[in-house]
Amino acid sequence: MSVAFSLRMAWRETRGAWRHFTVFFGCVALGVAALVSVGTLAANLDRTLAREAKTLTGGDLELRSARPLDHAERSALAELEGAGAVTTAVREVAGMARDPARGSTLLVELKAVEREYPLYGRVQTMPAAPLDALLADRGGAGGAVVEARLLERLGLSVGDPLVVGAARFTVAGVLVREPDRPTGLVTLGPRVLIAGHALERTGLLQVGSRVRYRTLVRLPAGATPRTAGADLARAIGDPAVRVAAFDEAQPGLRRFFAQLATYLGLVGLASLLVGGVGIASSVTTFLRRQLSTIAILKCLGASWRTLLVAYLVQTLALGLLGSLAGAALGVATQPALVRALAPFAPFTLEVRWDTGTIARGLALGVLTALLCALWPLLAVRAVPPSLIFRREVAASEWRVRRPWAAPLPILAGLAALAVWQVGSLRLGAVFLGAALAALAVLLSLSRGLVKLARRLPRMPGLAWRQGLAGLDRPGGHTVRVVVALGVGVMLLVAVALLEASLGRQLAYEHKRDAPAFFFIDVQPDQREAFARLVGAVSGGAAPALTPIVRARLAAIDGAPVTRELIDRRKQESPDKIWYFTREYVLTWAPEPPSANQIVRGRWWTPSEASARPRVSVEEEAAKYFGVGVGGTLTFDVQGVPVQAEVMSLRRVDWQSLTANFFMVLSPGALDGAPATYLATARVPAAVETALQDRVVAAFPNVTAIPLRGVLERVGEVLDQISFAVRFMASFSIAAGLVVMAGALAATRYQRLYESVILKTLGATRWAIARAFAVEYACLGATAGLGGTLLASVLAWIVLRFVLDTPWTLEPGTLLLGVLLTTVGALAVGLLATVRLLGRAPLSVLRQE
Amino acid sequence: MIRIRDLVMRLPSGGRPLTILDGVTLDIGAGEVCAITGPSGSGKSTLLGLVAGLDRPSSGSIAVAGVEITRLAEDALARFRRDTLGYVFQSYHLIPTLTAVENVAVPLEIAGAPNALGRARDLLDDVGLGDRAHHYPVQLSGGEQQRVALARAVALDPPLLLADEPTGNLDSATGAQIIELLLALKRRRGSTLVLVTHDQALARHADRVVKLHDGRILNGAA
Repeated sequence: MSVAFSLRMAWRETRGAWRHFTVFFGCVALGVAALVSVGTLAANLDRTLAREAKTLTGGDLELRSARPLDHAERSALAELEGAGAVTTAVREVAGMARDPARGSTLLVELKAVEREYPLYGRVQTMPAAPLDALLADRGGAGGAVVEARLLERLGLSVGDPLVVGAARFTVAGVLVREPDRPTGLVTLGPRVLIAGHALERTGLLQVGSRVRYRTLVRLPAGATPRTAGADLARAIGDPAVRVAAFDEAQPGLRRFFAQLATYLGLVGLASLLVGGVGIASSVTTFLRRQLSTIAILKCLGASWRTLLVAYLVQTLALGLLGSLAGAALGVATQPALVRALAPFAPFTLEVRWDTGTIARGLALGVLTALLCALWPLLAVRAVPPSLIFRREVAASEWRVRRPWAAPLPILAGLAALAVWQVGSLRLGAVFLGAALAALAVLLSLSRGLVKLARRLPRMPGLAWRQGLAGLDRPGGHTVRVVVALGVGVMLLVAVALLEASLGRQLAYEHKRDAPAFFFIDVQPDQREAFARLVGAVSGGAAPALTPIVRARLAAIDGAPVTRELIDRRKQESPDKIWYFTREYVLTWAPEPPSANQIVRGRWWTPSEASARPRVSVEEEAAKYFGVGVGGTLTFDVQGVPVQAEVMSLRRVDWQSLTANFFMVLSPGALDGAPATYLATARVPAAVETALQDRVVAAFPNVTAIPLRGVLERVGEVLDQISFAVRFMASFSIAAGLVVMAGALAATRYQRLYESVILKTLGATRWAIARAFAVEYACLGATAGLGGTLLASVLAWIVLRFVLDTPWTLEPGTLLLGVLLTTVGALAVGLLATVRLLGRAPLSVLRQE
Repeated sequence: MIRIRDLVMRLPSGGRPLTILDGVTLDIGAGEVCAITGPSGSGKSTLLGLVAGLDRPSSGSIAVAGVEITRLAEDALARFRRDTLGYVFQSYHLIPTLTAVENVAVPLEIAGAPNALGRARDLLDDVGLGDRAHHYPVQLSGGEQQRVALARAVALDPPLLLADEPTGNLDSATGAQIIELLLALKRRRGSTLVLVTHDQALARHADRVVKLHDGRILNGAA
């Protein structure tokens, strides 16, 4: 008895059972396809990001701040220039573009560039012409290169005049591609490129305006960007000026794609898990059929180890074949995924296959197949040779005893694979825990269904009785179908629930307290005229005006916020570092904001407010800063330090979309600071456009942000993301259906036998089909019920802990989930068994 | 009752067609007990199956109670079986997922008869299994299973009873009981009974014995 014998047996056993292994093959293939699909996407993103990093950043180094560079900072740059570096300044600000002929207006993202821009990459325009030629002044009007979206919205074309703020421009060309497009996933409006000097004429650069100042640096050959960046950062000192080398810039984009890849990877892993259920179930069925073969071989002297090796070799070979097919499918589906995600990427996504990803997909596929097959295969050991003498009892009565510790290494192996795939111990553990919990729920639900079918008082009518009795068939197909289908349904319905919940959040009509507009940069002397205009257009409703002062956090409890502190905290929590680096919008108020809740301390009395500056801090920010009631925060307001005592911590409902603030100061604390006003206005939908156009015409420096439009754009982004997730989830639904088809194929002979007996007794095909339909519908409904139940829990967890958004019950989605699963199971079941109905009884009965 | 003319049945077997019935012509009168005997492979069971419309002959005609069944469509055949005949198999062929009483009730339910389960219980009493009504087939002995099958076959009082080696899987004592029961049931209902058997004891109870060999009838037909 040798390895050669095992190999030969593996081949012989496979040769005769090709059809049987289609389920095994399909399950492995779909699982691997899902993983390779996500993996290839992630690899391509990484590669493109790395290659395009300089272009995306706009230079080897980028300096970013909310204020212009001061003299000292500019001389630090001049030193670099002296060593051969090239620098250029870019300023970005939101503003209103207006068609002077018709008066219609649109929120745009303005970008003012100098002659040297861009340092890397190329600005593509139509007509194709040098950028400085397009942006040059002609007849007192500057040139503007705009995105096609703007021309569509305002009904303009190249050559038409365009007003931005207080300055006139001529549309000189259409912007096709901008190398360093900042990748806020949601842009406020189309891009307008203008020359640097023309920005001064717009009047948008007032004290308090939100301008992003960027300086791009191209280093001389031989200089190391990281080192040069670190040197420059040390020379500048002020952490409010962020210095980043090209390969550390765009952290938001990197994080977004990394997280997306991780979440999609989890969905892919779930497909492989469903596939695992199919693998285990198909091997179980196969083994049941082989019981007498195994018994005979044992009689002839084959050891159980030899047989186990033979079947493991078979599993390995089939697993590898399935994985190869899956990898091919995964690569083939790339274009669809890429198309879904292309709108987020500021560059063209490649569709290339990645050797590492494919190798890992193959390894995961083969190892999962082996681990999932091992449990049923261990039964080989327990098959008694005497089984050949009593074949009659064999299949349904025979029960296997396996060593109780056997599942432990199998589970450990699966856990290791999960951790390997998601690349994080914690996430891998969470995934496996959730998967086991989901499996447990579906298992108990399916067992419950079987029990119920057994216990239920027998129904009158053949279809119901026969159908329900069918759920209790030997071989346990009910459990397999419900588990496999349930997991797929859980994923798809969870996505649908998340979409529905988020959609509800984003529907402007549901935001009862949300204003129609945020108007920013209303100057103090414009307040009254502005309020009058809004009142007149909207029919009497006055806007709410809130004073704001832009400031930077300078010190916490007296300890200055330095670049070293920021770098240190960046190590712990890179995604929260913006609490330090952001520009804070401060306001003051005598009363607590109505939608906020004081969770610590108390609000100030008028006398406390006038004594010295006090501040109420948003609770999450306070937690991050480690500051409590009684501590102090120091703000840098245009170079003037303002130290305020923390008197209370507030909980803010950011979802309310009203004017919310991290920091609210006591009245008087910011006296003398340059304030502008933030205005919110609630107006009927019918006058929204008119209000925007009238305000912009009268106050060119004021920027109107229409909430409805912004929410719509966020909705579009979510649509794209949910398409990608649904796409991945569809792999697991497909795997679930394959498992179902396989489980039904396993009970095919019993079904055939029953249908033939019923026919002999005079049942028509329709009557038999009805009995099958009852069984399939019960399977589908149970899987649907379990799946939607789990989906609700999953959606609740994601909404509560990941997205921090309230959960809403979506009865429509849940009902639809159950209904569609039932219909799907009915369809697949009937398709898989319809051929049985046509078989002539005699040939089947003769074989008995 | 049964009129068979030039019946031929060929089946594909390893590429070459295998002739199982080769021009069988046979008439069986109403109320008759007819035994079909012959060595294994002679085509007895196939002949009985074709009479029941469980498969289609290659050629020839079969009329049962005046109905030419070779021309009936699939579902019409099912209704014909329901209304005309009861079938007893050598290996019982009970539905494993149903209890004894439910198995007996199936033809009644297919026919839409009222109180199917109550009548099925009476039928089980008739065959002496009233106390085992709620047992599943695997919990019954061979003889008991065959009695359930008998009760099922006569549930709708069919004018024609077909039995394919009804005692073939049973020991002789149990076999004798089954024969007794089968004939009693036939007598009470006045049905026609066609038996396939190579049990001489069983064949002795027949009004007529038809011998088949290699798909042909040996002794004179009709």
